[in-house]
Amino acid sequence: MPIKLKGILGLSFLLIGGCSQLHHVHIGEIDQSQGTLTPFTLKVNELGFDAAKAAQIGADVAKSASTSEDLELVAFILAISNFGPKTGNPVYNDAYADQMLAEVIKVCPSKKMTGLTSVREATNVGPVSGEVVRINGYCIN
Amino acid sequence: MLKKTILLSLCAISLSGCVGLNTVSMTQVPAERDNKITTNSSSWNFIGINFSNAFVDEAIENLKEQCPTGKIEGVYTKHQTTGYVLVFKREVIVSAYCNEV
Repeated sequence: MPIKLKGILGLSFLLIGGCSQLHHVHIGEIDQSQGTLTPFTLKVNELGFDAAKAAQIGADVAKSASTSEDLELVAFILAISNFGPKTGNPVYNDAYADQMLAEVIKVCPSKKMTGLTSVREATNVGPVSGEVVRINGYCIN
Repeated sequence: MLKKTILLSLCAISLSGCVGLNTVSMTQVPAERDNKITTNSSSWNFIGINFSNAFVDEAIENLKEQCPTGKIEGVYTKHQTTGYVLVFKREVIVSAYCNEV
């Protein structure tokens, strides 16, 4: 395939690839017997980056065949060096979800809550992603 | 030769598994288990391109509607993805017990 066509195809996939991924969902118990419920949502978001995919896109849009081949090799090395079980793209901060518990505790004035739902999801745009942890729940009034 | 290739491809497609189990979770199961409620919600996509995960919230609302004044306990949540040819179905299947307090 000509390099220009490959580049256009690669960029098109990058543009339409704005993609929402659901990794994990856990629905907790919901108590509707103690009063009315007010919903709340808390969310933390961290930048994720897939270096291998970035190198692969570089290889697809490179003007010369030799640069394209070099970048493909870089993409391959990055891909095998990061091979293994993982959820979403790697991030640069391993504590980004740690403040969640403190935030959940603060959210209800009555201190009573129910129906906690934990969602681990991501929004991908090419090699970059927003790695999200979302907690939905209800305050019991 | 072409006929054989098509037959082989069809055979391979029919033999391959098409459901991926993403996650399973469960909360404490109550002693009283008379009133079981279930729900599921799903989202279809083409080659894995999605723009929202809102179908999860649909499942929660459905569950709440089935137990408007009680306590929903023993919540078993299953998140799975079924692959058809180029089309995927993401699904959340939930079962629980509704107990009036």
